[in-house]
Amino acid sequence: MSESSNALPGPKISTESILRQLLKAISAPLLAILTAFIIGALVILITSGSLLSVFQAYQGLISGAFFAERGLSESLVATIPYIFLSLAVAVGFKTGLFNIGVEGQFDIGAVVGAFIGQAFRGLPAIIHLPLTLACAALGGAIWAGIPGYLKARTGAHEVITTIMMNYVSFRLTEYLVSGPIKDPNSSAVQTPASAESAWVWSLSSIPQRLQDPLNALGVTIFLAALAYLFARWMIGRTNLKERLKGSSPKRMVTLGFAAIVALFTFFILPPLSKAYWPFNDPYDRLHIGLIFALVASVLVWWLLWKTTLGFELRTVGANPNAARYAGMNITRNVVVAMAISGALAGFAGAIEVLGVSACHCQQVFYVSGYGFDAIAIALLAKNNPFGIVAASFLFGSMRNGADLMELNSGVSKYIISLIQALALLFVSAPAIINSIYRRRGRKNQRKDATLTHQREVKS
Amino acid sequence: MSTSTHGRKEGKRYNLRGAWWVSVLFAAFALWVAFWLLNWVIQGKCDDRCVIGTLQQTFRLATPIAFAALTGLLCERSGIVNIGIEGQMLMAAMVGYAVNLFGFQYLKTFIGVNAAGDLSRWLAVFAGILSTVILGLLLAVVSIKYKTDQIIGGTVINILSLGITGYLYRQFLAQNLPPGPGTFPIIPIPGLSSIPIIGPILFTQKPLTYIMLILVVFIQYMLFFTPWGLRVRSVGEHPRAADTLGINVFMTRYISVVLGSIVAGLGGVWFTLEAVDVFNPQMTNGLGFIGLAAMIFGKWNPFGALIGALIFGLGTSVTATVSIFRPDIPSQIPQMLPYILTIIVLTGVIGRAFPPAAENQPYEKQ
Repeated sequence: MSESSNALPGPKISTESILRQLLKAISAPLLAILTAFIIGALVILITSGSLLSVFQAYQGLISGAFFAERGLSESLVATIPYIFLSLAVAVGFKTGLFNIGVEGQFDIGAVVGAFIGQAFRGLPAIIHLPLTLACAALGGAIWAGIPGYLKARTGAHEVITTIMMNYVSFRLTEYLVSGPIKDPNSSAVQTPASAESAWVWSLSSIPQRLQDPLNALGVTIFLAALAYLFARWMIGRTNLKERLKGSSPKRMVTLGFAAIVALFTFFILPPLSKAYWPFNDPYDRLHIGLIFALVASVLVWWLLWKTTLGFELRTVGANPNAARYAGMNITRNVVVAMAISGALAGFAGAIEVLGVSACHCQQVFYVSGYGFDAIAIALLAKNNPFGIVAASFLFGSMRNGADLMELNSGVSKYIISLIQALALLFVSAPAIINSIYRRRGRKNQRKDATLTHQREVKS
Repeated sequence: MSTSTHGRKEGKRYNLRGAWWVSVLFAAFALWVAFWLLNWVIQGKCDDRCVIGTLQQTFRLATPIAFAALTGLLCERSGIVNIGIEGQMLMAAMVGYAVNLFGFQYLKTFIGVNAAGDLSRWLAVFAGILSTVILGLLLAVVSIKYKTDQIIGGTVINILSLGITGYLYRQFLAQNLPPGPGTFPIIPIPGLSSIPIIGPILFTQKPLTYIMLILVVFIQYMLFFTPWGLRVRSVGEHPRAADTLGINVFMTRYISVVLGSIVAGLGGVWFTLEAVDVFNPQMTNGLGFIGLAAMIFGKWNPFGALIGALIFGLGTSVTATVSIFRPDIPSQIPQMLPYILTIIVLTGVIGRAFPPAAENQPYEKQ
């Protein structure tokens, strides 16, 4: 979609056509999800024999996910790793790589994050937190880069190597957490609690954190960089560029916008947040990882559709032979794609350890299950970064609401997996849905194969 | 990238392709290294009985992996990638467990307890197979008729069967149930089981292990020495050419997936009818995926797949032996070894493995 809108010159696209496009794109997945829920209801009806338990189950699911105490924020907490991991899967898919290893890369990121988090004491958060997250992302990138390199160099199929790397990373983290970096003072098998400077801030702690000028500086740099990128991107779009033509240099506008945001963040936000802040519940686990996740999805979209590297990655994914004849370095692109994928997964692992876990440490036998769901999410969203945000929220709220559903109605929470699988099935085979609802299928629709049919990359 | 490397790899392909004896030599070497390491680690405490016990355990543990590998092999030889084996096996494990338990309760009111146990166990095997065939047909229809990406189809099956088994388990099986008939007993094969070393290792096993060994030979014969096998392989390599020669590509693929699913069903019921008499939703523990690795290890050949499965089984059983004698060694390190070994093998230490050419490509008739 973004490709086609980009290809059209000038501001010809009316908002109506964008809306209709959006509606068209969304209607099929929505119908699929709805159908999956209906079939789930039928399954509950058949196995329990009463219509009441169907209502109880879905009512529990919805209230657990949104309306219960801290329901919505817990749903968002589960959404955060889903976004990162399914972005990781999507970057792989777009390059024609099936990265099943995100769960393992997530684990590696978590253990690296836990290690760096507790290794340094007394560093200011402005250095420690980015350092920890960067190390975790690097760890994930290296861990995923190995299968990428092997794929590109020797043709070892990434599906199998990443699965194998998954098991190696499970054992490795288990060994590290129970042996070399175990907390000697704790009876539980876990790493030492990380320093407070490495914690990913919960939303309720932001006002207090901002009182430290160094922290405020960190936030200022982050937001100003975002503002700068946003302004550059806005000016790059045709409408605004024409409006600015001849008046003021683009550079001044972008820098000026970033400077205004920076000044606001540094001088006004700390006192303002102290005076008024909407998130005051200290037990609320929602953390700034959500902002990172949203930024990451925009960045992945920008990377894949707006940069040369992204173009190369997509070309390698769509047709490796064409990419090779066009002079693209397939080895490099495959390794880079896997490294980006692993970096996203490792980042998510560190955020989970430093933001969500109660002890701010990595515990042994921690299998999140996020990684495998993320594959389904990426497929459900057809690898569109913004679709991924929506699908992640769906999966996150279902994961969160399932507990209350089981408690309220006695319907096992595994029904969620059934519904998710059916939704994925209906999205990936639209002909089934079309035949159920007698929708007229669009003939000769370009098959948006998530994995290319030319999967064998020969270097 | 350059033509020279390309040429080198092409040459390598012809040298080592299908060289099964390389795999055998490699496996023998691995076995030797494994026992050398084992004896070094546990300081010679493993006597003959212990070695034989470890090897017997190896074959036992290799059984589900080999079944999974054979499933993947049958499907992929016809051009259908099946990564839903994990889910299929989980489903068969659950169905097998339930049918064994409830069938026994029902049957023992008519016939004696022993006969009811035997009958319900075999009924459970067939019920498990039936469940995997249904899942396999789902994969086949989705990927052959609707031409969806086969990896997506497999992922759907994995999540779906996790959902179904977990749901049914929580609703019906996770409560106080009457005792079931238990798992299959060990059936020593008369005569053969008294051969000194091979007897206890190979011929003092439970029935599904024997079925696995027979199936390996049978599928090797079927795939490479019968017209049917030639058809399946041609459909997997070049469906258009096969179609031109009058082979029904769709039907061949359907049949292969169903046959593969039958094998997956055997692998699934192994968990609840041969290994342990309980079911839990994490029971298959990734063995379906490891089976795919064993299949690639064996270069899409049944014998090679068996060797790959045996290496994984050996890794697990050696780890168990080591942890008995040396509890101070962290068990995670030896547990990693089979996975690392697979990665090394995949990277071409014993020659590159080439999947069937038409794998994961939906076929459209012209």
